[in-house]
Amino acid sequence: MDLESLGEEVKLNIRKASSIDEIESIRIKYLGKKGELTKILHSIGDIPAKERPRAGKLANKLKNEFSELIKEKKEEITKQKSLPWMDLSLPGRKPTMGGLHPLSILSQEIQDIFIQMGFSIVTGPEIETEYYNFTALNTPEDHPARDMHDTFYLKDGRLLRTHTSPVQIRTLEKHSPPLRIISPGRCYRVDTFDPIHSPTFTQIEGLWIDKDISMADLFGTLDLFAKKIFGKDVKTEFFPSYFPFTEPSAEMWIECPFCKGKGCSVCKKRGKIETVGAGMVHPNILKSLGYGEFNGFAFGMGVDRIAMTKYDIDDIRLFFQNELQFLRQFDDSKL
Amino acid sequence: MIVNYNWLSEWVDIDCAPSELADLLSKIGLEVEEVEKTAGDTIYKIDITPNRGDLLSVIGIAREIAAKTEKKLKKSIEYKFSCENKDKKINVTVESKEDCTRYTASPLNNIKIGSSPSIISGRLEKCGIRPLNNVVDITNYVLLETGQPLHAFDFDKISGGITVRRAKKGEQITTLEETDKELSKEDLVIADDEGPIALAGIMGGLESGIAEDTQRIVLESAFFKPSLIRNASRRLKISTESSYRFERTADMYMVGYAAYCATGLLKKYADGKLMGKIIDTNPNPKTSKKITFSYDKVNNLLGMTVGKKKSKNLLQNLGFTVNSKTEDKAEVSIPSYRNDLEIEEDLIEEIGRFAGYNNIPLRFRYSNRKPVWVENKEILEIKKIMVRLGFWEAINIPFIEPYWASGEKTEAIYLENPMWSDKGILRNSLLPGLLENVKRNLNRGEEIVQIFEVGRVFTKEKEEEENVGGVIGGYTLKNWYENDRKVDFYDIKGLVEAFLEKIKILDYSFQDCKNQLFIKEQALSVASGGKVCGSFGLINQEVCKGNVFGLEFALKKLINSKKEKRFMKASVFPPLKRDISIITEKNIPFKEIQTLLDHSTKQKARIKLIDVYHANKIGKDKKSMTIRLEFYNPKKTLKDDEIEGDIKLITKKLESIGAVLRE
Repeated sequence: MDLESLGEEVKLNIRKASSIDEIESIRIKYLGKKGELTKILHSIGDIPAKERPRAGKLANKLKNEFSELIKEKKEEITKQKSLPWMDLSLPGRKPTMGGLHPLSILSQEIQDIFIQMGFSIVTGPEIETEYYNFTALNTPEDHPARDMHDTFYLKDGRLLRTHTSPVQIRTLEKHSPPLRIISPGRCYRVDTFDPIHSPTFTQIEGLWIDKDISMADLFGTLDLFAKKIFGKDVKTEFFPSYFPFTEPSAEMWIECPFCKGKGCSVCKKRGKIETVGAGMVHPNILKSLGYGEFNGFAFGMGVDRIAMTKYDIDDIRLFFQNELQFLRQFDDSKL
Repeated sequence: MIVNYNWLSEWVDIDCAPSELADLLSKIGLEVEEVEKTAGDTIYKIDITPNRGDLLSVIGIAREIAAKTEKKLKKSIEYKFSCENKDKKINVTVESKEDCTRYTASPLNNIKIGSSPSIISGRLEKCGIRPLNNVVDITNYVLLETGQPLHAFDFDKISGGITVRRAKKGEQITTLEETDKELSKEDLVIADDEGPIALAGIMGGLESGIAEDTQRIVLESAFFKPSLIRNASRRLKISTESSYRFERTADMYMVGYAAYCATGLLKKYADGKLMGKIIDTNPNPKTSKKITFSYDKVNNLLGMTVGKKKSKNLLQNLGFTVNSKTEDKAEVSIPSYRNDLEIEEDLIEEIGRFAGYNNIPLRFRYSNRKPVWVENKEILEIKKIMVRLGFWEAINIPFIEPYWASGEKTEAIYLENPMWSDKGILRNSLLPGLLENVKRNLNRGEEIVQIFEVGRVFTKEKEEEENVGGVIGGYTLKNWYENDRKVDFYDIKGLVEAFLEKIKILDYSFQDCKNQLFIKEQALSVASGGKVCGSFGLINQEVCKGNVFGLEFALKKLINSKKEKRFMKASVFPPLKRDISIITEKNIPFKEIQTLLDHSTKQKARIKLIDVYHANKIGKDKKSMTIRLEFYNPKKTLKDDEIEGDIKLITKKLESIGAVLRE
């Protein structure tokens, strides 16, 4: 082996060494009495006289270099070893951490799914008028469908919106179709405050207006949504339903993710859970807005209910008690 | 609606097992909420949507089963009023045909009040109605079977004839439930010559009700205007099986069949005999309406090809008559029990319902279209910053007690029908809810609570606006590496400063705080662009005891004061640092020193306060402050002699306000 490559080899070995023993065996291998470099130095006389001075010089230089490196490495290793003992099991200094509310997390996840599908996000007032909340949505005052929305009224006759559909009307008044919008937000209905009811809830509604939209588009969009939020294996089922602002109307149910359809306490033994109310926008609504040549679908869902299903929470009031023990459990890292 | 299998199978042959029937009904939109098996029968609790009054009956549900399984009803609902005896005639006057389109009155005598046979009482119990006596039970039985509400009056307690009219102002009635109701001219009543004897379609009066000694009765079966019944029921706060059905529109034809049916049962189970002619104000009501639809539209709207023949069949199965008009269009005659059907789309829903929603293909129209607006993007950004600063997000119900708004300049918004009587206003601040949360968490044993909420607040002046509120209270966490301490003013101030820095509000100032939720000695307001956009500090002890600190900002104002700054490269030249310790009067605010020194030097310098301390050896009314000056130059490394002049200048300035330099 020539001296140059021997030099590289030794330097590499020293660098890689991690214990005193290892260093010692390297020293013996190269610098010991029978070491490889020692042998070379001893046999320097065998080299032709012309090259002898250069080789001798190089060999000696390497010898000094190795000794120095070995010394340094030994010191380094000893120094490392001599750090005082520390209790590594003590808890670390954690920075103060916060987190988003589960309803915010889920609401945002749902919105993000629809943003990916090309929907815009629009918002609107929580104090609404009779007109936007009911009349413009084909729900006349004496219709029994009003019973589905027990309403909080203000002293001045206005009301707290019972759904975010008014935002759809307000948007359609400003922008003509085709359009795809999602309106998320707080809604209010007179209800008891018990494990399954709350006077306020977060709703997400969607509207897709274009020409030649069909129930197949509606069901396809909702099915895609369900697979994104509950996992690609989720089974969806569609049933006829009734809403004054859609015709035909439908509901999407998903197979209960906890019992896989067998029936359990979460799904009240039905094996499935109602998730979204939907339908084709009632022609009266589009006609009165001057969009008679268009059609489309609308859907709505309660984030609170979906959160109860997704996180297996049996009491809706937990969302409004804001106990840190509860709030700390949710994962907002995706947002 | 509660209904049992055996009763249904009296009306239609059911091919499937009782357990499968629930599934069959759900698939056509009759959502079965509960199934209960009893000895030899199965009971279904079905959620009927408000448009389908016709399904609040055994016959209605049987019709749907028949349509789905392509069968005919086993019994006919045809009827003919007969009369064995024409002695007693009863006078009926209907004041407004619009209020009451049809009224029938059947007078019966020889009634023997007793208990019902088990076939009737058993079914009533299964369907959730408590049996009372044979007459009342028969009216309820027929109501459940036909969906048509009936009422029986004690004939001998009616003076003179029966009038269907609006109540007069000031008239009163004592209902069967023994409550007195004051009536208005919006209420429809059944009256005799002396006054109201029943609230039409809602509840009978106590006076004229069936009693144990009743011998003669008048059986009423009628059609009342749905909105009249609905409004009266709501105003008088009485909701009954009867009003529930009338609100949802009764079946004009069924009025007659129900009267016929009930008369038959009264003869059979109460020994009754018709003692006079059955009065019928509208014996042949016009019941059928016509809707035209296009077969093409069926396919287009449902997104699946149903086919002409099948579409037609599905509608015929429902009992509709379909007449083809053109190649594509057909006219459908709708029977009287389907008041919900009005337009083409309604018929298409019927076809879709019976063709099966789950046969509709799933389609998603992909397109490259991107969202045009994301209006709540900034709200999420603000929330994420609060989270980064260590806050946990809370969501509160925005109803609060009025005292929270008492000291405010702007008026609160009151609810007409509050959820909780003590929480009658909409929140005008996020702090009341958050303070409630802090208390709750401290009681739960949390050492420190740091929470925030982003949400709407309401005042008469501004109507509604989005705020961000935050609260911190308690002690810093006990740990092994530093001492714990009470949360204090500088914690909330630091959070506010960091928050403003993160949302890129660069240009703001602190002012005295006028918000009464805070204690003014330990609170500040933040102004940017000449406008106050929020406040923070120690919470007023009257509203929340202890060391709890809050912050609240109006989001819109914050977002409007955001400024984009030009970005600079990080300097490669290290700053030159000098610490200067001074002793000043205790009550000189640091801000005064900062203002004095800011932008006063030749070389650029950052001024930082790194120590403040009080001790007797420096004087009781004195304090020591150590100020760090970081001189920097973006183009070179500064040398000592280049800042000497600045140091001298600063020293002079500090001395000019009476500060003494410490060595």
